[in-house]
Amino acid sequence: MKTRPFLALFVSPAALAALALVGALAAILQYAFRAFVPGSMEPGGLTLANFEALLRPLYAGVFLQTVWICLITALVTLVVAYPLAYAIVRSRSVTLKSFLLITALTPMFLGEVVRTYSWIIVLGNSGFINSVLRGLGLIERPIQLMFTTTGVVIALVHVTLPIMTIMLAAALSHIDAAYEKAATSLGAGPVRVFLTVTLPLSMPGIVAGVTTAFAWTFSAFATPQMIGGGRVPMVSTLIYQLGFASFNFPFAAALSVTGLALTFAVLALAKAALSPLERMGAH
Amino acid sequence: MAAERLHTGTEAPAATSARVGVQIDGVTKKFGAFTALHEAWLKIEQGSFMTLLGPSGCGKTTLLNLLAGFLEANGGEIFVDGQLMTETPPYAREIGVVFQNYALFPHMSVEKNVGYGLAARGVPKREIASRVADMLALVKLSDFGHRKPKELSGGQQQRVALARALVIRPKLLLLDEPFSALDKNLRGAMQVEIKEIQRSLGVTTIFVTHDQSEALSMSDRIAVMSAGRIRQVGTPDEIYRRPTDRFVASFVGDVNVLPAKLERRLDDRASVMVGAVRVEVPAGTVDGLAPGAAVDLFVRPDALAIGEKGSGFPGTIAAHVYQGSHVDVLVDSPATTGGRLLVRVPGTQAPHRWPVGQAVGVTPTGDAVAFPPEAA
Ligand SMILES: Nc1ncnc2c1ncn2[C@@H]1O[C@H](COP(=O)(O)OP(=O)(O)OP(=O)(O)O)[C@@H](O)[C@H]1O
Ligand SMILES: [Mg+2]
Repeated sequence: MKTRPFLALFVSPAALAALALVGALAAILQYAFRAFVPGSMEPGGLTLANFEALLRPLYAGVFLQTVWICLITALVTLVVAYPLAYAIVRSRSVTLKSFLLITALTPMFLGEVVRTYSWIIVLGNSGFINSVLRGLGLIERPIQLMFTTTGVVIALVHVTLPIMTIMLAAALSHIDAAYEKAATSLGAGPVRVFLTVTLPLSMPGIVAGVTTAFAWTFSAFATPQMIGGGRVPMVSTLIYQLGFASFNFPFAAALSVTGLALTFAVLALAKAALSPLERMGAH
Repeated sequence: MAAERLHTGTEAPAATSARVGVQIDGVTKKFGAFTALHEAWLKIEQGSFMTLLGPSGCGKTTLLNLLAGFLEANGGEIFVDGQLMTETPPYAREIGVVFQNYALFPHMSVEKNVGYGLAARGVPKREIASRVADMLALVKLSDFGHRKPKELSGGQQQRVALARALVIRPKLLLLDEPFSALDKNLRGAMQVEIKEIQRSLGVTTIFVTHDQSEALSMSDRIAVMSAGRIRQVGTPDEIYRRPTDRFVASFVGDVNVLPAKLERRLDDRASVMVGAVRVEVPAGTVDGLAPGAAVDLFVRPDALAIGEKGSGFPGTIAAHVYQGSHVDVLVDSPATTGGRLLVRVPGTQAPHRWPVGQAVGVTPTGDAVAFPPEAA
């Protein structure tokens, strides 16, 4: 065996960080099993009441709604990001490539709060979208976008767009353009080439992008909080309300733990369901 | 040529369309300011095997891409079986392509790969199955239909690529350096196999290579290219023995270059003097030169013979390179530009008859060609 003298040196910061993370998770985990004592910051004795409360329709509904929003967001992001990634990878013009890349990636560099405020300006009743539509005479009364699921999904798509684009572009750039040329020379039109060659071969990127977008959306907070304004409850906003408005830390912890478990479960499920598709594109 | 240049209709000229498989009329391709193909003119007989031969970067792939429709020309016209291709999208051209790395669809079985073009044409499933089976039998891969491409050897992958391109019964088959990924033994076997299949199906074929021996052994005709221009088109024998272009003479096969003087011209023959030795050459390549003008004489190693001292060019045996069926003899001689002549002597007796160090005379015995010296 090779000795690696610097291994301990390099690994120890990571190990420390991991340890801290595990510690925090353990703390949250133990909070989840403690009773809430109203008016006190200190939790009470051991109990399963927090998890029982989760089964109440109100909270279970929030979970379902969150999963639904994450799913829609991931799929819409996929549809928006795919052509973008394709153009970035296949475009011959360097200028176009850079322009698209910058457009796709800027959301990453904007702070979450700044980005969300911009969306408030765009989505508001007298915001950009509504004024344009009204200016064009397409609508008479403004479309309600703020404080709606649609508005939240639109803003969340913007959040997940960069990561999805990067993942798809990585997958697409691994597809040799010769496959598409070969299909074309064999008589397949552009749509057929896309459906039978490009799409299946990019499946690994699609699976990775969709699951990542799903997980990101599940933990998004500022966007549902500010765009949804409390009217589009998601697990993260609920945790915030319970923890910082009601100081019910045990219940907030139970929500967090369940959310985490649910994310893992959904990812595992998606992985299992999509693995035949993914294998299809493996080369 | 002038008549062809004036031709602007959408049908190839009637007199030639019957047997012309491919006609390339003054096709030019530019990438920005760089011209990758300068006005290429080429006619390929239906069912024949044409090779585009030239060094890396000379525009071979560019020409194939123009034929397949993956690139648009900046000028000129391409006809396949008498039909103008310019407005035809690549998927409607009925041209089979075998790519350098085969480009087999990795997510499909061999059968699905081969059947792809038929499925795209909406051929009924049962007919697809039978035509795919026939084609796989032709390329000797009947038992491999259910495998994925990555489960095949390089030669097998190549045969799948060939089957996939041929099953659509293309009007034209394009092969872009199909052997470059194969090892040498397999390469020879595949050359024979592809040639046999091509001949049995009678499909017009354009084959791209930068390997001159491959070109000489496989082609009905060869178009030698360099720097975006077609230099000469002819049978392998014409290209090898009667090059009309200096580049062709030095690119195809080994050649000795000897400085010489033009003596005189008579009709289509001319004679040049290398020192005191007179050599006959075709007159076409020294057109416009006056007697006494300096020329370079190109002689193949197999068109030279070694004899007793005093005959031909004087020289001294420098080395022998045993090649199995023949011996390459290197002769130090002041007659050649490089100071050393390469003589190919059939059989294996050369080292005994002409030991190293012996003074000899080298005589031209076969075709030789003269060209004006390179502009300095
Ligand atoms: N898309 C492109 N943009 C700019 N230049 C290009 C492009 N494609 C090819 N070229 C240039 O055109 C010339 C001819 O290229 P081509 O690929 O036809 O060469 P080739 O004869 O096939 O060479 P090789 O034997 O190396 O494959 C080269 O100098 C190449 O750099
Ligand atoms: Mg090439």
